Amino acid sequence: MSGGMWAEKYRPQILDEMVNQTEIVSRLKNFVKERNLPHLLFVGPAGIGKTTSILALARDLYGSGYRNYTLELNASDERGIDVIREKVKNFARTAAIASEVPFKILIMDEADSLTSAAQHALRRTMEIYTRTCRFCLIGNYSENIIEPIQSRCSIFRFSPLSEVDAKGWIKMIASKEDVQLLEEGLEAIYEASKGDLRKATNLLQAAAATQEGVVDDVAIYSILGRVSPGKVREILNLGLKGEFLEAREALRALLIDEGLAADDIIRIIYSEVLRLGIPERWKVRLSDTIGEIDYRLTQGARPEIQLSALIAKLALAGEEMDR
Amino acid sequence: MTESQPWSSRFRPCTLKEIAGNERAIRQLQTWLKSWDKGIPKQRAAFLHGPPGVGKTCSVVTLANDLGYDLLEVNASDYRTKKKLDALIGRSIRQRVTITGKRRMILVDELEGISGRQDHGGIGAIAAIIKKTEIPVVLVATSIGERWEDKFRPLRDVSLHIEYNPVPFSLILMRIRAIAEELEIHVDEDVLELLADRAEGDLRSTINDLEAIARGRTRVTMAEASGLSVRDRKDYTPDALMKMFSAKTLRDARRIISSAHIPYDDLFNWIYENLPLVLDDASDLAEGMDALSRADIHQTRARRTQNYRLIKYMFDEMTGGVALSRRNSDGVGLLKLARIKVAELGFPPSDFTIIESPDGIMIKPNRYLKDDWRRVNEAFRSMGASWVRGGGCWNLPYFRSPQLIWRYRRTWHSRRRRRSVAERLADKCHISTKEAVAEVIPLVKVIFEENEAMARDISGWLGLEDKEADWLKG
Repeated sequence: MSGGMWAEKYRPQILDEMVNQTEIVSRLKNFVKERNLPHLLFVGPAGIGKTTSILALARDLYGSGYRNYTLELNASDERGIDVIREKVKNFARTAAIASEVPFKILIMDEADSLTSAAQHALRRTMEIYTRTCRFCLIGNYSENIIEPIQSRCSIFRFSPLSEVDAKGWIKMIASKEDVQLLEEGLEAIYEASKGDLRKATNLLQAAAATQEGVVDDVAIYSILGRVSPGKVREILNLGLKGEFLEAREALRALLIDEGLAADDIIRIIYSEVLRLGIPERWKVRLSDTIGEIDYRLTQGARPEIQLSALIAKLALAGEEMDR
Repeated sequence: MTESQPWSSRFRPCTLKEIAGNERAIRQLQTWLKSWDKGIPKQRAAFLHGPPGVGKTCSVVTLANDLGYDLLEVNASDYRTKKKLDALIGRSIRQRVTITGKRRMILVDELEGISGRQDHGGIGAIAAIIKKTEIPVVLVATSIGERWEDKFRPLRDVSLHIEYNPVPFSLILMRIRAIAEELEIHVDEDVLELLADRAEGDLRSTINDLEAIARGRTRVTMAEASGLSVRDRKDYTPDALMKMFSAKTLRDARRIISSAHIPYDDLFNWIYENLPLVLDDASDLAEGMDALSRADIHQTRARRTQNYRLIKYMFDEMTGGVALSRRNSDGVGLLKLARIKVAELGFPPSDFTIIESPDGIMIKPNRYLKDDWRRVNEAFRSMGASWVRGGGCWNLPYFRSPQLIWRYRRTWHSRRRRRSVAERLADKCHISTKEAVAEVIPLVKVIFEENEAMARDISGWLGLEDKEADWLKG
């Protein structure tokens, strides 16, 4: 048992190792055979093989030294389009001389998080370096990518994995790692991660770390209680009970101690609220409030104040249930 | 006409001699102003700072009058942005005399109203004005704590800075005695001393106090003085909050903005921190928090558009909006938490008397604490209480200061480690650091807490330093 995070250990290295997304993989293999590719746009939900595909393609194309010919950027980590342009410039201005492939590949993950102004700037950059560099933009939604970029890219839509495929992957890792994964455990992992294999694999690994060999649903739920969604649910429940001070403390811990971004918290809150055991009418009402807060945050409002207002409102739902 | 004026303006000094105390500061200011007779001095601005009500503005006005200056008074809170300041002051600093031939000078008052962070260029604009002004510029800031000094640094470096001190007890006593005599009101010496004692060097507020108990009377005894409440001042932010939370009108609630003497964004944090300690009824709390969240929006808008006309809506929501939400609540600040604390420490409620006093919550042990004393002391001190020597009790303010800053300080190291671990994970797992923080680190922490072998493996794989691995173990 070694090799760091299992999600990386079992990430397919070459296109031949990929068992899912078969149609996309076969088209990508064609690019490798032709030794040429267009600009690419990969869209689809998290953890279903977008980054894996382009890394595998690069390895197939350049061999083991592929890192010399690729640059991975994550748009959400880069400070502004100017920094990105500078990095792209430095990377793309030299041709890939040592390789028989005449271009390099720039991978831009979470490209859909760039503002449209930044995307327009990126489009110019793509045009300038087209001769020496191919861009692979990755994102969750193609709607968030501007038209001019879409029209310059070959778009690949990654479809969510089927339940059978996702579970098959989890079982494969469990058996290779000698983890005895019970059916209820597998079910619980799938329920929490749906088709997101990275999430599923991390969850399995954490559960395996806490157990002596056997992973069941209780093990999974206990892990889930210790990560962000579990903590958010705790906050919501405190709010329902009218324990505002405690809930606010826990919210502060999440925002400051744990450094969770406000938009991540609001996303989790939204999905957790829908699962709360509260009157259906209240779900609609709270959804409206969350939507309002979500918008306010994009306008620069302070997350803690806005989320505290939501917590205070939860107590009203709680009171109505008690009556 | 003068009859209806508030006494603090009616008895405002007209000549330098009438200003009580701060002779040194006033002399400094005078010398500097006179140096303008010989041309533009090295320091083109004077920066006056000190506690409220000690005669800062007053001495500027009086001196300007004495030396024959035409004074342009600007209230910094009204002109918070660079653009507005430039429009107002920028032009006048080049016109040395008025149409009637009078020399001009500028007074920028209430400088503390400019918050360095948000008023893009507000402070900078003033600094720029100082550099090129051809007429005297006097800046006045009411400062109590050390903490505002940072934001004024650009100004202090280019100006002569003059510090004002609290007015001594004896001078305050003399002044209010003289006022009482002039008005032919007989005020008992005890009362005068009480007033002067409470003043803490703030002459203006003492005169206000005197007016509150003496106006319309011919004789004032201790009986009338007993109704005096504690004054809103920086040291008394908790009391200012108490007044605000019990306000019944928007107007009364809004008063805290000017009376609290702290920047409004600090005040906002104070209100937010303490609101749940007052609004303990669920629907009151929801309404109050809603008002506060809208105050936040108004502030965001004012900041984004650089239009500080919009800030008044923030003030309304954060004061009136919060205070008027109080209908079914009976929370009295930290009182309830103090009781909970006693229970948490394992004492029966009868071991302590916890009562509300005008100065705060009094917590008095009913038995000899012996070895428990240290523990109890620590617990109450952590809530913000102070041990009253000789009183045999703790005194806890009704409200506590915003806790956020402490949390940031406390978590500084762990936040740094989190960041560096997140960066390594992001790199190794081909994800963003944001995702590493939200999705992966919590699970990695579970692994580190539970499974040493796996932790060591991951540690090596990520190339973590010992401190980072220890942090993950928690």
